[in-house]
Amino acid sequence: MEQLATPLLNGVIYGLLLFMVSAGLTLIFGMMGILNFAHASFYMLGAYFAYALQDVFGFWPAIIVSPLLVGVVGILVERYILRRVHRFGHAHELLITFGLSFIIVELVKLFFGNYPVNYRVPASLDFAAFTMGSLDYPAYRLFMGIVAIGMFVAIYLLLSRTRVGIVVRSAIHRPKMAEALGHNVPRVFMGVFGVGAAMAGLAGAVAGAFYTTSPNMALELGVLVFVVVVIGGLGSLEGAMLASLLIGIVTSVAVGIDASLADFMALFGAGDLAREIGGILVLKVSSLAASLPFALMLLVLLVRPSGLMGDKE
Amino acid sequence: MKSPAVLKMALLPGLMFASALATAAPVKIALVETLSGPQAATGLTYRAAVRYAVERINADGGWHGEPLELLEYDNQGGPAGAADKLKAAISDGAQIVVQGASSAIGGQITEDVRKWDLRNPGRELIYLNVGAEAQALTGDKCQFYHFRVAGNAPMRVNALVAGMKQDQALGSKVYAINQNYSWGQDMEQAIVDGAAAGGYTVVEKTLHDVGKIQDFSPYVNKIAASHADTVMTGNWGSDLLLLMKAAKTAGLKARFGTVYLDQPGNIANAGDVALGNYVAQTFNPEAAGEAGAAFMQDYRAKTGHEPTFIEPQTVFGMLLVGEALRQVPAGDGKLDVRKLALALEQASIETPMGKLSMRAQDHQALLPLAVSVVSRDAKYKADGTDMGFKPVKRFTAEEAAVPAQASCRMQRPD
Repeated sequence: MEQLATPLLNGVIYGLLLFMVSAGLTLIFGMMGILNFAHASFYMLGAYFAYALQDVFGFWPAIIVSPLLVGVVGILVERYILRRVHRFGHAHELLITFGLSFIIVELVKLFFGNYPVNYRVPASLDFAAFTMGSLDYPAYRLFMGIVAIGMFVAIYLLLSRTRVGIVVRSAIHRPKMAEALGHNVPRVFMGVFGVGAAMAGLAGAVAGAFYTTSPNMALELGVLVFVVVVIGGLGSLEGAMLASLLIGIVTSVAVGIDASLADFMALFGAGDLAREIGGILVLKVSSLAASLPFALMLLVLLVRPSGLMGDKE
Repeated sequence: MKSPAVLKMALLPGLMFASALATAAPVKIALVETLSGPQAATGLTYRAAVRYAVERINADGGWHGEPLELLEYDNQGGPAGAADKLKAAISDGAQIVVQGASSAIGGQITEDVRKWDLRNPGRELIYLNVGAEAQALTGDKCQFYHFRVAGNAPMRVNALVAGMKQDQALGSKVYAINQNYSWGQDMEQAIVDGAAAGGYTVVEKTLHDVGKIQDFSPYVNKIAASHADTVMTGNWGSDLLLLMKAAKTAGLKARFGTVYLDQPGNIANAGDVALGNYVAQTFNPEAAGEAGAAFMQDYRAKTGHEPTFIEPQTVFGMLLVGEALRQVPAGDGKLDVRKLALALEQASIETPMGKLSMRAQDHQALLPLAVSVVSRDAKYKADGTDMGFKPVKRFTAEEAAVPAQASCRMQRPD
């Protein structure tokens, strides 16, 4: 039982973390049609801001202030950079966010150095929530999961139950009409971009302490976040949630599977033949765990190009 | 650092004198390292060490009074970039190529250097490998103009096993977890091969993707399920850090035996997690005594930081080349690389850790090692924390050596 329960729980929590970062990305895409390459950089900024602030304010205020700062950075980026290139089309927007991601990484290296920084889980949260088998389950992981779920609920309610949400959704769906009705659509875009960045920042501030805060963290997570958004369907919040959980659970459970294609072929009596051929046939599933999301993305693109929950185009 | 202008001024009289005899170009050393991109941190560390070493060789008179010239190229983190920059280095007149980060890039360079040397007799190059530790480089791919002054997987594992055994920290069950590429596979093989000598059984082996995994907790579950006493790993960078942090937060009771725990930033980031875990190092200042202290001080004075990680081995390797250069006669003023390679095979120097020499058979350096444990009692602290690496066992070059691989069939000139 616990052999399956722990990987599942791990996978769910990791999936929730992925969701925190990809939520903003998918929202921004759904609204503005911009695939924001700098999005994972906001995740990194969140971690570094929290690291820099925790010495001054302590851990708790730091993880609240840091996302706000990242949100402000996001707003500035939208207002003074993206809006200027908007009229040149999507390719330019794509390129400028791509360039921005490099600039942010280099700036971070300039201020904080090339190596991982000393940003750690605070002592008050550094304990075991419960014990499963012979291993403790860290309370901080549960905390990360709770933050992610809280964020999902808040964003979902905001979009579906409030007046602001109606305006945002209409601006996404029919920007011209919303503008004709007297809503300031550029300001809505700016706000959504800021909120999206802040969500990535929150994820960074929370996860940076648990994993590592290093100049490579954006790169390490960035690719995976795109995979999440593609699998979930570009622009779909629910899709991002589903895809994040799927990827989290698949990678986590796959680590425990030591079977290979050869074992599968052995069921048909071809095991020895497969082992003779070698190569991909004897590769264990566990050693491929981190590559499985990409295989999943390929599958989704082949079978359902708009993603699991994406609108059909 | 001296400014180039000052250097040129110092060179001028010497050059004028030399030009009367022959048109002597200075010996050029090309550093082809990863100087930009996500892996730049490691490449820049190699650069700091190589700069320091070249300065030191030049202070000792360079090659027959003429200073060596260091050229730097950015291979952009991949074999393709390295191949390009190697061509640039050759056309700039480099005769010695230095590289260390990544065995994949090392494999590309050694192959390109071999082909160049084959096709351009009389204009050969030497590839000084200061850190690519894959076995193939001194095995299948070994060649006359490749010299490795770093360790390799069996050397590191054997030392680690002996050191941890002496400290009674090894236990009888070992879990091997490594990155799925040449280096990690070598490590896994070495851990399996070391079982008899170490008196342990390898309960489970895992290879995982390099640098892609954020969440190592599923792997920690697997380790816990195997009831291993010790986890041995050749992981570096975030793959090491995240693995150890995941193990700590889950309360895993196994010790870690590592190769790269002394990478800068690891101890600061891991914090208490690092305590009580082991690392096989090519240099430990506490183990090296007074000579180590002097080296630490001089290095810090010149570069602004203390030598850790791969820096000492790089410096010592370069100094070995400096020693070999001294054995090559000046001749007509142009360095004969073939003679340098032959001299390098016989070269040996005294480093703060002990004697370092080159084995002619496969061009693997015989170097002293130390196994250390992360402890608050260490004399030298790491990363500005209150922890450091306390040596538990030292190995002379002879003790640390492992026999050359049978797969190395080196083609020697004449």
